[in-house]
Amino acid sequence: MTSLTTRAPGTAGTSRTSRTTARAPRPATRVGFALYLIVGTLASLVFLLPLAWAVARSFMPDSLVTQAPSAQDFGHLTTGNYTGLIQANDILHYALNSLLVACGTALLTALIATMAGYGFARFRFPGSGVVFALVLVTMMIPFQALLTPLFLEMHTLGLTNNLAGLALFYTTFNLPFGVFVMRNTFLQIPWELSEAAAVDGASPTRTLISVLRPLVVPGIATTVLYAFLFSWTEFVGALTFLTSNNLYTLPLALLNLEYGSVGQVNFGYLEAGAVIAMIPCVVLYLGLQRFYIRGLMAGVVKG
Amino acid sequence: MLLVAPSLAMVAVFVLFPLGFAVYISLTNWPLIGPYHFIGGQNYSALAGDPEFIHSVLFTLLYTAIVTGPIFAGGYGMAVLVRSNRFGSTFFRTAFFLPFIIGLATESFMALLELQPDSGAADYLLGKVGLAHATTAWTVNYGLALTAICVIVTWFAAGLTMMLLMAGMQGIPIELYEAADSDGATWWQKETRITLPLLRRNIALSLIISVIGSFLAFNQFYILTEGGPGTSTQPVVMWIYEEAFVQYHLGYATAGAIALVIVIAIITAAQLYLLRDDTSAARR
Repeated sequence: MTSLTTRAPGTAGTSRTSRTTARAPRPATRVGFALYLIVGTLASLVFLLPLAWAVARSFMPDSLVTQAPSAQDFGHLTTGNYTGLIQANDILHYALNSLLVACGTALLTALIATMAGYGFARFRFPGSGVVFALVLVTMMIPFQALLTPLFLEMHTLGLTNNLAGLALFYTTFNLPFGVFVMRNTFLQIPWELSEAAAVDGASPTRTLISVLRPLVVPGIATTVLYAFLFSWTEFVGALTFLTSNNLYTLPLALLNLEYGSVGQVNFGYLEAGAVIAMIPCVVLYLGLQRFYIRGLMAGVVKG
Repeated sequence: MLLVAPSLAMVAVFVLFPLGFAVYISLTNWPLIGPYHFIGGQNYSALAGDPEFIHSVLFTLLYTAIVTGPIFAGGYGMAVLVRSNRFGSTFFRTAFFLPFIIGLATESFMALLELQPDSGAADYLLGKVGLAHATTAWTVNYGLALTAICVIVTWFAAGLTMMLLMAGMQGIPIELYEAADSDGATWWQKETRITLPLLRRNIALSLIISVIGSFLAFNQFYILTEGGPGTSTQPVVMWIYEEAFVQYHLGYATAGAIALVIVIAIITAAQLYLLRDDTSAARR
């Protein structure tokens, strides 16, 4: 696994080299570093300002949001959009739906992928190669193209208009990535450790739980994080499989704010709802960044 | 093997069966309710002559052609900027990647307001520099909507390309650069003679991931333009969705979907082929 802390190929003579040789940085290096900071800061603004602006807008009353922006807007900040959204549109109910589906998906994916990853990494059995290939093939199939058969099938099984059904659907399409990550995690564990446990009389299940768990937790965290973020932000599947309003996930509730309301869209509410949808992603990413990057380095994430 | 059975069951129920079922549906005139008939390849021959479907395919290709370059160029530039671990690089990486984490659906809702005439920040800012009127309505004009969506998507996806390329750049042995330094190579020479050739696989991978993402575009168009004006900004996935769940032509929509599956499967096969070194080394 490539770690982000690996010493990276630097441009000629980074400040680090200069410092270790206790010489003043060459002028060219200092200019280069300043340039790096300036460009980096400007680029960061390009990515962060629109998000910060959206947060600011969410605290402006709708009457201001529907007018051209001006500096005076910041004198009228209010939480009115949030309280209105909670009272009139019951946004917390939809957030809870999203949370249930995302947590369900994350837990189920972690459980199934861990079992399969362990099975694939530790045991050879007839057809294991074929089975692994079948699971990976799922990565080649875009679920967006299977909406019609999935809808008919899930409808027959009573899984449409059903949050558990949606979670099962999300879990399936997170499994290939999860199985891949978990299998690699188990492959990196020294065999001797589990062999020692086996010699001491531990069953494979016992070995999995007591000996390997601490070594496996990073892999599980990666799987959980991806599954959670996937289902929290997923849109077209939810749009297809959920039809009753009270089961809508957050993105669909926002769509309702856009198209469902008669007459003018309440942009203040829409902005506040988008910020609510954004918060868990930002918090989870900032908190669990290293696990996310671990997953990326597995190289199989789909954009 | 009991441990892998649940995975296999899930994949069988939610991927393999639907895939086979899709082929079957595509050979019928399946409506949402009521009886259906087997009609052979009629759906497929109808697709070939359906201007709306063909437009959605061409539009998706055009959109992909437009965004792939900027996403790659932006991602590459950012990767070069933040690949070394020095003051600020972690912060920059996080900032550049944040839009990808938040997701295009949420960001499209945010963008909807800013693309409105009279009140959006897009008109306000571009008006200041004389590039737009305060009353430009971005989402109801084909060219303007496509432009706006391409800008948003580039902003959204460049961070992912950056991460994938950066990982590759950090994997290149430092000795190569040190040897080049002692030979007096310039920065540009090191980039083009060492970094680029050794990065080929990562570049191919990031391009494939980006192209697949563009082929499957849906959220940003559904939320910002609803495919409009008319169906001019309707990508393929939206055509499938509308045909199946608005028009209730399930058989016909699925025929279009099968075509999409085949295209994506071929591209992903190339992706897995590129990843095969890691996989085969790890397997056994």
